[in-house]
Amino acid sequence: MGSGRPSTPIARRALSPWTFLRRNPRRVLPLFGIQALVSCLLVLIITPTNAFEATATAGLRPLEILTIVAPRVRSEFDEDLLARMDANPHQRDRMPAKMFWVRTPMIVGETATPILALPGTARDGFLERTGVRLVAGTLPEPGSDGVALHEAVVRSRGMTLGETFGQLVNPRDVLPGRFTLVGILAGESRLGLADFAYAENPLFVLARRRPFQVVFAKPGQKDASDAFLHAVEQEDGEAAYRVIDDDFMQAQIDAALRNLPAIIGFITFSVAFVVAFVVALLNVIAFQVRTDEFGMFLAIGHPRWLLVRKLAIEAALVALVAWLVGLAAGWLGVWAYDRFYLAPRGILMHVFDVRPLLFSLTVPLLSTLTAAVALARRLHRMDPVAVIQRRGA
Amino acid sequence: MSEREPLLDARDLALEYHDGSRRVRAVDGVSLRIERGAFVGLVGPSGSGKSSLLFLLAGLRPPTQGSVRLLGHELPRRPDGSAGIRRAHVGFLFQEPFLVPYLTVRENALSHVADEGGAARVEALAEAIGMASLLDERPHRLSGGERQRASLLRALAGDPELILADEPTASLDQGTGRAVMEVLRAQAAGKGLLVVTHDPGMLEGADRVLHLADGRVHEGPVERTR
Repeated sequence: MGSGRPSTPIARRALSPWTFLRRNPRRVLPLFGIQALVSCLLVLIITPTNAFEATATAGLRPLEILTIVAPRVRSEFDEDLLARMDANPHQRDRMPAKMFWVRTPMIVGETATPILALPGTARDGFLERTGVRLVAGTLPEPGSDGVALHEAVVRSRGMTLGETFGQLVNPRDVLPGRFTLVGILAGESRLGLADFAYAENPLFVLARRRPFQVVFAKPGQKDASDAFLHAVEQEDGEAAYRVIDDDFMQAQIDAALRNLPAIIGFITFSVAFVVAFVVALLNVIAFQVRTDEFGMFLAIGHPRWLLVRKLAIEAALVALVAWLVGLAAGWLGVWAYDRFYLAPRGILMHVFDVRPLLFSLTVPLLSTLTAAVALARRLHRMDPVAVIQRRGA
Repeated sequence: MSEREPLLDARDLALEYHDGSRRVRAVDGVSLRIERGAFVGLVGPSGSGKSSLLFLLAGLRPPTQGSVRLLGHELPRRPDGSAGIRRAHVGFLFQEPFLVPYLTVRENALSHVADEGGAARVEALAEAIGMASLLDERPHRLSGGERQRASLLRALAGDPELILADEPTASLDQGTGRAVMEVLRAQAAGKGLLVVTHDPGMLEGADRVLHLADGRVHEGPVERTR
């Protein structure tokens, strides 16, 4: 009696999906090409979207070291507000500052990078703590309109030392007043430095900007220090300070990018669905050419499930290899885009991003699934006798 | 299965189908036994139901009436239900070779092997039927006769107990057809062999020749040349 064994290893080797794929490159290539291309495109589309977060997060980095505090209601820090701030047991020291924002082009639109106007005496200590260093030019002279900007900001704005900028130079600039670029900074924290005395000059509009205190916490007590500042209340029970810390800015970034995953997901699944449909169609067309092969296999007793498995593995192998090749090609493209376009413009992007990998994975998965279902249906309905009789007629 | 039990025992087989509004009885009450070592020929004009009967005997079509016992076991009505039996015990030879174009002759043969001794058997068979030098060729490099011999190699590779051949020489010229039949007869020694053909000349050496007309079997004259 027949054992009903699906196959022996020796027969499985003859029927190996690899054998078909290796020996039929012209049939496999369209399926491979379309899936590789789409995976590559998804990497090219999705990866650069991390530039929004990467660039915005770079501006956030100083806030991992310091906290910027402003009066919430009052126009200035009075003795009482400063005294209550100094009651913070986690505070190391503080320095008066003014803060402005300089526009920095992003991959799409712009982000803002902070410029802190600090007293000359506080600057060296500030640079040391934030890990920022001067790489070209000088730090702003006391009382001057000089400013030192981060090298990424300088690159992205295409500026040179000695160049003036600000609303008084260009009315469309959001930065009030006028500044002269005198120095270039480098380091993890993207920020600029200006002179506090210049920003306080009552003759200039800058003097009307709200004052800040830059608070440094004791080592390892940044969170506790921020919590203390958040908790200080006025007489009316409202918070006394506006505290700009990393949590606050991260929430701002998250809010700005809230819809991005949904948009990327929608685009990816739409593309993957269409591609899966096309791949299933191409698989069915390729299967038509192999009707004799499978009709014969069924006639001589190969189980249908084994043949479905063979076809599914063939589809899966093509999809998997196409996906890997598409990813590699996409990453190469993203690397070149970063190296030759974004980096020279000071736009940050993470070349190796896990999101395109995960999102583009829907292409091989959905393609294999739809192809397997379509081919299984074909095979299920196939009548081997009809195949034999058609050829024998 | 006992020694005396036939390899194939078909009883009162009938096959009906609809051709538009017309009801066609392609096979009509056929009973047939094939013993081990027997060579049975089945001849008849086109449309007489030869191939339909062969498909019934192989379990590829469920009969409208009657039953088929293969190696002592009744074939299930679902063609997929008899796939394991076909694969393990039956060798098929069709009018067209149906070789998988991207596989070599050896791989085509091995695709039908259900036991680990298949590789050595394929080598030996290829030697016996003059295909040894062509084992690693793909079908498109073979002549018509070589392809049919490659198809025969596949049919025999699984060491079947019963060989069912449907017009195996129809697409070959007379000389090549006779050569293929000679090889088939020699290799089928000790097995059951049923050859369906419209050319009685190909049944030289058959133990029995059955004539099929209008779906019914009539026993015909037998040439005793073996």
